[in-house]
Amino acid sequence: MVENGATAAHVLVIGSGGAGVRAAIEAAEHGSVVLLSKTIAGKGGCTPMAEGGYNAVLREGDDPALHAADTLKGGAYLNDPALVDALVTEAPDRMRELLAWGAVFDVGSEEGVAQRPFGGQQRPRTCYAGDRTGHEMMVTLMDRLAATDVEVVHECAAVELLLEAGRCKGAAALDSEGRLGVYLADGVVLATGGGTRVYDISTNSSSGTGDGYALGYRAGAEVIDMEMVQFHPTGAIQPYDARGRLVTEAVRGEGGRLLNRLGERFMSRYDPERMELSTRDVVARAIATEVLEGRGTERGGVWLDVTHLSPGEIERRLPIMLEQFLAFGVDIRTEPMEVAPTAHHIMGGLRITPDCATTLPGLYAAGECSGGVHGANRLGGNALAETQVFGRRAGRSAGLEPERPKGVTPAIERQLGALRLRFDDYLDGEVPPPSVVRRLRQTMWQGAGIFRDEAGLAGALAGVELLKNQRLFAATERNLLECCTAANQCLLASLICRAALLRPECRGAHMRRDADCSTPPNASRYGHTFLSLTREGIEEVA
Amino acid sequence: MAAVTIRVSRFDPASGEPARLVPYTVEVREGARVLHALHAVHEQDPTLAYRYCCGSGQCGSCAVRVNGRPGLACMLPVADGDVVEPLDLPVVRDLVVDLVPRLARIAAFLPGGEQDLPDRETVEALKDLCHCIECGSCISVCPAVTVTDFAGPTAMRQLERLRLDPRDTGDRTLLATEEGLFCCTSCQACAEVCPKEIRIPGKAIERLRAEANRRGMTLPRHAEVAALVRKTGRSVDRTITPLFERVESVLEPYGPVRGEVAFFIGCIYSMRLPETALDAIEVLRRNGIRVIVPKEQVCCGSPLIRTGQLADLARLQATNRAALAPYPIVMTMCAGCGSTLKHDYGNLPFRVMDFNEVLAEFGIEPPARLPLTVTYHDPCHLLRGQGISEQPRALIREVADLVEMEARCCGSGGGVKAGNPAEAEALGERRREAIAATGAEQVITSCPFCEFHIRAHTDRPVRHVASLLLEGYKKKDAEAASAPDQPSG
Repeated sequence: MVENGATAAHVLVIGSGGAGVRAAIEAAEHGSVVLLSKTIAGKGGCTPMAEGGYNAVLREGDDPALHAADTLKGGAYLNDPALVDALVTEAPDRMRELLAWGAVFDVGSEEGVAQRPFGGQQRPRTCYAGDRTGHEMMVTLMDRLAATDVEVVHECAAVELLLEAGRCKGAAALDSEGRLGVYLADGVVLATGGGTRVYDISTNSSSGTGDGYALGYRAGAEVIDMEMVQFHPTGAIQPYDARGRLVTEAVRGEGGRLLNRLGERFMSRYDPERMELSTRDVVARAIATEVLEGRGTERGGVWLDVTHLSPGEIERRLPIMLEQFLAFGVDIRTEPMEVAPTAHHIMGGLRITPDCATTLPGLYAAGECSGGVHGANRLGGNALAETQVFGRRAGRSAGLEPERPKGVTPAIERQLGALRLRFDDYLDGEVPPPSVVRRLRQTMWQGAGIFRDEAGLAGALAGVELLKNQRLFAATERNLLECCTAANQCLLASLICRAALLRPECRGAHMRRDADCSTPPNASRYGHTFLSLTREGIEEVA
Repeated sequence: MAAVTIRVSRFDPASGEPARLVPYTVEVREGARVLHALHAVHEQDPTLAYRYCCGSGQCGSCAVRVNGRPGLACMLPVADGDVVEPLDLPVVRDLVVDLVPRLARIAAFLPGGEQDLPDRETVEALKDLCHCIECGSCISVCPAVTVTDFAGPTAMRQLERLRLDPRDTGDRTLLATEEGLFCCTSCQACAEVCPKEIRIPGKAIERLRAEANRRGMTLPRHAEVAALVRKTGRSVDRTITPLFERVESVLEPYGPVRGEVAFFIGCIYSMRLPETALDAIEVLRRNGIRVIVPKEQVCCGSPLIRTGQLADLARLQATNRAALAPYPIVMTMCAGCGSTLKHDYGNLPFRVMDFNEVLAEFGIEPPARLPLTVTYHDPCHLLRGQGISEQPRALIREVADLVEMEARCCGSGGGVKAGNPAEAEALGERRREAIAATGAEQVITSCPFCEFHIRAHTDRPVRHVASLLLEGYKKKDAEAASAPDQPSG
């Protein structure tokens, strides 16, 4: 159905990673669905790159309550308990669904899906397909999607949400030729993934540019805990241009050892009990500390070693790691990997209810662009589970929205007009987006990285604000999207800095050197930080 | 940082101009990949269109041709002088190809069967076929895709993956036959370029064809060949006395013995192109190699394996194994026989060498040069099946001037010539154009199927490496005879 040159559907899903596709599949039960994908659908986002696994309680001896306890503890008790409850309760069902839809997960010595230990978990709970778990899930979801009537729009990126009387009514989008399209719906699901591409060193794919945070925030939705950025402990160092490339936690799950330049298994100094399988925040800071104190490698990393495992085990359990490192000249069967922390995941995001409603009526969010599930630190294996549990919930909620008239109203026309003016500014601009983004990444890595303090954060924020005000330049209409994306990245970076300044404590991934780090997280008086167009602050427990 | 100059294909559909290569000089760091160089080019020239996403070889967005060969831009190291072009698929703009319609041909899982994960053994078999990242490389090099409605290699991979899954409810074998299962020439081009190293012809196509055979869906022409093999032990009609029945069991060299091979002649050289095989024997004898012809040899089984008709295979293999066991080196001349003996026979108590390998290893007496420009057609089962590329070229260059042409299947393999003649004709015609474009006077190859098939698709003589060498020797002898006072060299 097209009205006034716009495409209308009952539900519009923005994003084609695990959460977006799951949302679209669910929403299709309720009516027509359009799925907007910035890439060729199925290839974008971080889900296809996710290596390690999917946490679900599947066996006797494990319990959703234990999964919840691990998730809350790992999240430094900043998680929204209702969201955690939904996650741990439904993750097993969503896993069984994936299996019924054809997913090929590994089988262990016992019957059924194999599960391996991941950091911060009391039971081996992480289901996996070698170290290409996310890819397997994505293939499965795309197969399922193909069986629905969902209209998939490939290589078309939402650049602004459209509002009518305080309600989200759809989105404006640019295709690969730079043509503006309008998509209207009764319910809109944001599932645009994360945004750690705002850091110099990041695991994210090129689509990890924080578009969802920016779109939601600009439209008036509230974001929470944006300071909570997970630095994955193990990112590859070499080659330089591929720095930050994820070295999966599965490497440690399978027995990988972290060693400093002196050959010390240094995790014994930081978490002697859990060692390499401590939570990611702890391991990342441990590695960063080793490097800062001069015990790192020449290139500023540490060693991650699996050479004590048999070549067969490595080939079977870590095929992608083996293949990737071989491509870069390192045989992990005989040599250690050189690793250092890398920006990986944003725990914060759009504030949602358990039904994935944001604070903006008509707008739902799922997956990494939402906040509250993981608190101050995410456990490995919980993100893939989150995509399925909350993708489905968001799709359902949006699908349950009543039918409303969908047309390009004067209010929407005004927004489109403003957008066209912005595009004209870009076409008339001065600074190429890559130069802005490069400076942004360095600013964020230096000022809002693993270790933080007020001066550094304020400096970073000032730097980001300067970059935000650069007049971005689009050489052709096809380059407009790059400008929009760079602007989104600048906005995300400022949200991270502002939120980080709002939280005067050490909590999970947020390490403030100038704040009290002695209060146990479950005794903290602080709740979520929040930012919106109309208010900002930090919740305090009475 | 180091400067590299790469040439990048630029194409603007609105311009009406064909694609052209544009040089760009960019600074890259040590270890940089092609993708990083493209990023740098894009900074210089923001109009460059290229696709990428994960940057770690997992999403399959960035496949391009680098120096003619498909690969993932994010994984291939960049080097000065690299030429970066789009995959050989319809180009949208610059390096961006129209991938989605191709990916749409990959079948989706059809649930409704068993709900739970299959047992471990099945899962392991499935996993072998699950690594595909749908980058399109295999489709872009598949000759069958260019002349038929074949859904493409990875579509076949997916059908085999679904067939093996008890949870899937589709009739995958039937669908495979509808999607062009018998169009594959088994040229192995897809396997050669797959960034995930999935050997689709062996792991999917031959297995689907075997399943089709069990279900009575084998093409009638293929079934005729299998019946002939069962009856006669040979894959072609006995219209002449086979060569191995006509020659002595042991053919001594003309000079001192420098080596010895047992010659596995193969059905086509024995019964369709015996002159070529005799040329090869002459060349070997002239170069001091004793040729033994085991009389019990039968069809190697290749026509059965490629078409999925496995019932009589074990018997053929046992017969050949026994016939060849006494000899340390078994020489093949047919690329198909060679590849089959090397890959489909398990461990053998002897070494299998192709004719070109034998000559390269033992070395040859230099022949006279012919005033001739030739091109070389790489037989698929020699180039990709056995990794033999340089040896025949070196031999050819001893005799004649060699001009290269792109290695591309001629259409005669995989049972296609018999089962799908129109496709074989169409691919043969592509070779005609490629051969004509080289300007060569003759086409040299090293496979009876190629030799036979290409003869029908070019006006130039098509000859085996051995025949060319022998002509060189004959000329040398003639020159020596006409100038007896000149020392021969």
